Amino acid sequence: MEGFIIALFVCLVLALISKYLAVPAIPFYILAGIVLGKAGLGIVQSTEISQFFSEIGLLFLLFFMGLELKLDRMIADPSKLLTAGLIGLVVDMGIGFTAAYLLGFPLIQAFIIGTAFYITSTAIVITALIENRKLMMKEAELIIWIEVFEDIVLIIIIAVLSAGDKDLLFFFLKIALALGIMYAIAHYGKEFLVSILDRDDETPILFTFAAVLTTASMAIMFGIPDTMMVIALGAALATTDPEAFEQHARPFKDVFLVMFFVFFGVTIDFASGVDLYTIGILCILAVVSKLISGMLIGLTIFGSALSGLEIWANTISRGEFSIALAVLYGSPVVGTVIAALVIVTTLVGAFTSKYSTWMRRGIVSHSRRRALVHRPHTNR
Amino acid sequence: MNEAGYLRLGMELIVFPPSYLNGERVVKKTIYLGIISLMSAMALRSLNLPGVGTKYEFETDKGDTVAIFFTRTGTIQMYTLQKGCKTPSAAEMTPVEARRLGNILTGAIIEAEQESVEIAFSALADLRVTIHTFYIPKGIAGKTIEDLQIRAKTGATVIAVCRHDRNIINPAPSFVFEEGDAALVIGESDQIKKFEREIMVE
Repeated sequence: MEGFIIALFVCLVLALISKYLAVPAIPFYILAGIVLGKAGLGIVQSTEISQFFSEIGLLFLLFFMGLELKLDRMIADPSKLLTAGLIGLVVDMGIGFTAAYLLGFPLIQAFIIGTAFYITSTAIVITALIENRKLMMKEAELIIWIEVFEDIVLIIIIAVLSAGDKDLLFFFLKIALALGIMYAIAHYGKEFLVSILDRDDETPILFTFAAVLTTASMAIMFGIPDTMMVIALGAALATTDPEAFEQHARPFKDVFLVMFFVFFGVTIDFASGVDLYTIGILCILAVVSKLISGMLIGLTIFGSALSGLEIWANTISRGEFSIALAVLYGSPVVGTVIAALVIVTTLVGAFTSKYSTWMRRGIVSHSRRRALVHRPHTNR
Repeated sequence: MNEAGYLRLGMELIVFPPSYLNGERVVKKTIYLGIISLMSAMALRSLNLPGVGTKYEFETDKGDTVAIFFTRTGTIQMYTLQKGCKTPSAAEMTPVEARRLGNILTGAIIEAEQESVEIAFSALADLRVTIHTFYIPKGIAGKTIEDLQIRAKTGATVIAVCRHDRNIINPAPSFVFEEGDAALVIGESDQIKKFEREIMVE
């Protein structure tokens, strides 16, 4: 228990520092976990309590993802989004998967690395867009929709991975039934739900917490993946009053997700047999592949390499979803690789998203100067 | 009706998306009462961006672009992009600051401490109501609203008093003013002027 408190305190300090420096906190939490845990000083051990807290963090992350998933939200130009999304999916997942497979990971683990390699961190990307005051740029809107696209892809991948080798027909029947019940409750019980959420006392927050945990434990009882069901619960409840649910679920997500990151770091063990060479190659590729996909998206959608550069600069960071994949389906080796991937890309991404305007300006003025020098009739 | 309310004040436009009035459901309802028309002449585009918040964007007649973002974090970002320019400039505001800016843009008088808001309901025979804040001077401290005969003398009404960060809404006639109280007075602009001339000097 002392270890847990130490971890909590360290996180608080790190959160303050990262907010002060205006950089994403996720890499610091993981690093703190690594330093305090198995691979480092060994002060903090992963216990039953910490595992329970981590699990709640993950469930609330997924619940939020479901809440954000409003299917009626329409984008002005869906074909644009689809093109951009598919370019990202094919290029990034392709490079990640191929590289991991060639480096000797088994097929499934290579696929998980590929997915973690592809999914960027919605939280980090969007916070960076807001904090760097880039919301008005035409690329910003596309980036936001690409994040939504990635979330949907991730949900499909989680469904496929959790289906595994079970009796598929029976499995999907159970899922369909559970989805039906949830949507029916959200639809017919809407007034009751809203009346609970409108109260000023402890009931709304208690209700939100209980709904998520009950859904997860019921799912496990009936042998269907709890991750899927919690996302579905979020999506179903989003049809009632998503803002209220977000407000009441946020404290749980904020606290337990930090625990999730730290204890992910704690469980990392460098002795699990992974060489720096593999990690190094994957980290460099993670930055390069986003450059390739960003450039391709920029050229196809906006017809400009500078737009591509901007998209790249803002979508480098991998984060919470990559770690979730590592925790849910990855082997210890994959966990270490993904931890390194997240730490490196978030730090690089924080830098590029902050200074992308300078980069663009530098390139533009450089090419202008060149154009001036080469102008034949110049008086200068 | 869009999910955000458009409140038309004379020729100006103030947009109140729900996030702006987070948790102030009563206020939201009263403001919705004032909704008169949806601005369509000015090409105002509103968009819900997942994870970010609500975006409002419009282009002025001269070709400049203004974009406002009500972010999830509660702050409001305003971007302006001059015609022909590539990089916008941005300002980040708290809700209070944004409301002040809104007051300035609607043409209300803003002095260092006192401010006033004029609301025009163009559908109701151009009904105009002014709300003004006054700081109670030493001269009228200790008197009640009844003593001062505010309604009889000026026609204006004190609708709220702010004292040491505590608000008293609809104070009773027996309410005793203290020095430094901020009184919110509602009425026609003439009545407000009368209040300033006749009550504040006593």
